[in-house]
Amino acid sequence: MTFVRVCSENEVPPGEALRTESAAGPVALFNVDGEFFAIEDTCSHGQWSLADGYLTGDKIECTLHMAKFCVRTGKACTLPATKPVKIFPVERRGEDVLVDFDGGRYAA
Amino acid sequence: MATDPWKSPADLFDEAAGIISPSIFADRDIYKLELERVFSKSWLFIAHETHIPKTGDYFATHMAEDPVVAVRQKDGSVRVFMNQCRHRGMKICRTDGGNAKAFTCTYHGWAYDIGGDLVSVPLEEKSFVGLDKSQWGARQARVESYKGLIFATWNMEAPCLSDYLGDAAFYLDAVLDRSAAGTEVIGGITKWVIPCNWKLAAEQFCSDMYHGLFSHGSIFTAASIPPSSLNTGRQFRAARGGHGTGFFVRSVPEMKITNAGERVAGYDPVADEKAAVARLGTRGGLFVQHMTIFPSFSFFAGFNSLRVWHPRGPDKVEVWAFTIVEKDASAATKEQLRISSTRTFSPAGTWEQDDGENWVEIQRVLRGHEARRTSFNIQMGMGRDYGTDPDLPGSKRQALSEDAARGFYAHWLTLMTQPDKAYAKGGNPLQAAE
Ligand code: FES
Ligand SMILES: [Fe+2]
Repeated sequence: MTFVRVCSENEVPPGEALRTESAAGPVALFNVDGEFFAIEDTCSHGQWSLADGYLTGDKIECTLHMAKFCVRTGKACTLPATKPVKIFPVERRGEDVLVDFDGGRYAA
Repeated sequence: MATDPWKSPADLFDEAAGIISPSIFADRDIYKLELERVFSKSWLFIAHETHIPKTGDYFATHMAEDPVVAVRQKDGSVRVFMNQCRHRGMKICRTDGGNAKAFTCTYHGWAYDIGGDLVSVPLEEKSFVGLDKSQWGARQARVESYKGLIFATWNMEAPCLSDYLGDAAFYLDAVLDRSAAGTEVIGGITKWVIPCNWKLAAEQFCSDMYHGLFSHGSIFTAASIPPSSLNTGRQFRAARGGHGTGFFVRSVPEMKITNAGERVAGYDPVADEKAAVARLGTRGGLFVQHMTIFPSFSFFAGFNSLRVWHPRGPDKVEVWAFTIVEKDASAATKEQLRISSTRTFSPAGTWEQDDGENWVEIQRVLRGHEARRTSFNIQMGMGRDYGTDPDLPGSKRQALSEDAARGFYAHWLTLMTQPDKAYAKGGNPLQAAE
């Protein structure tokens, strides 16, 4: 388990997202009212960046085909997506937000 | 290849004789050929740069009857592409404008990025073999800008936009270059349909000061415009390209406001005009300037109403009109122009209604079989030498003439009698398209 610093918390204001590259592929980090979540950035449906999407509450809507995912669980909430995306553990150290890129998994 | 629906081009327009056939305003076959030979060959107005300032900002419009989307790219350039999915042809953009991260077809979900390139095809891995997405992007038009105005064309062999505008650019500057800050759009776009042929409108803005004295006579009277101020007219017929403009050179700054009713506090047309004259010379003070950039972009300066005449069949035109102001104009000037242009050149505008009334009635008359065979006179100013004006290159010292209209139709006829090379070869239209 290796947590890597991704950004400082004020770089990603509430409702916003940040796309970052990692050995595990692109990862999207979201700020949901001060809570941070990291999921696989590539939509499980149409190969598109979820960080580019519209975040409402803890649901991210892909801008390509409007599939919605829960950023807490990675689960697909609407068609046309049927498969989940992986979620990654997030940690806060002071102002810093860290992600464990080795810890990607599908939620139970 | 389409056969030309006329025996000789002079049956449509005979410049030497000053005769024009009414069939060009009413005939369906001629209209179909116009789409191919005039509109697909010319530079067409798309939008003002300030309609789409930021990355992903888009503006859905038409190039003649073809729907297109203009989108601001990450590098600041603008792309204009067909609003037509390459799968089964559904529109890929179904709103008038806004900001987008992608354009996804609502039929089967093919998705295009903001450049119009195809980026996602649902079930691609499962159901297509060797689909080369790079070959199936939205069709791209050629795009260029002139002082804030974005134009596009399907004609890859057309001259560059500045050569296309040619000597007419000098007169376009009278509305686009009044301040070093450039122009910006205020308010939205007014869109309406007039049941008349597009050329009645485009030709009038190109050339026709004549009708003003009669059709708009009540406005001139109400605005207390001294008739003597109308003796300083000039008309410009572009050396080539069919563009034209007419105007008076002795400015009456008060006119703008008198027509528009109440004055916005702080609006100072005299000061505004002084600044423009300091920058542009005589051109800064043109008065009642009407202009058409061939084929279908026109403006009326002073009220700064710019518009495109989208053809909608031989007997309909869809007008899209908007107003521009100098970016650094005072808040009062901007507000005044917003109000003035609405009061004069909008569907309910005082000037606009006078014009539309004539065009609609002309078109109604042309439903008649005999009416379509009864030729029109376009001889005004022929055989007259009005003299030139060194300050205003290409202009003649008389606005009351139809020389610019003859230039408009002469260029129209040149294009109409030049079949599309690709079609003329009898080639595969699919190859011609790419
Ligand atoms: S028509 Fe666009 S995806 Fe089928
Ligand atoms: Fe008019």
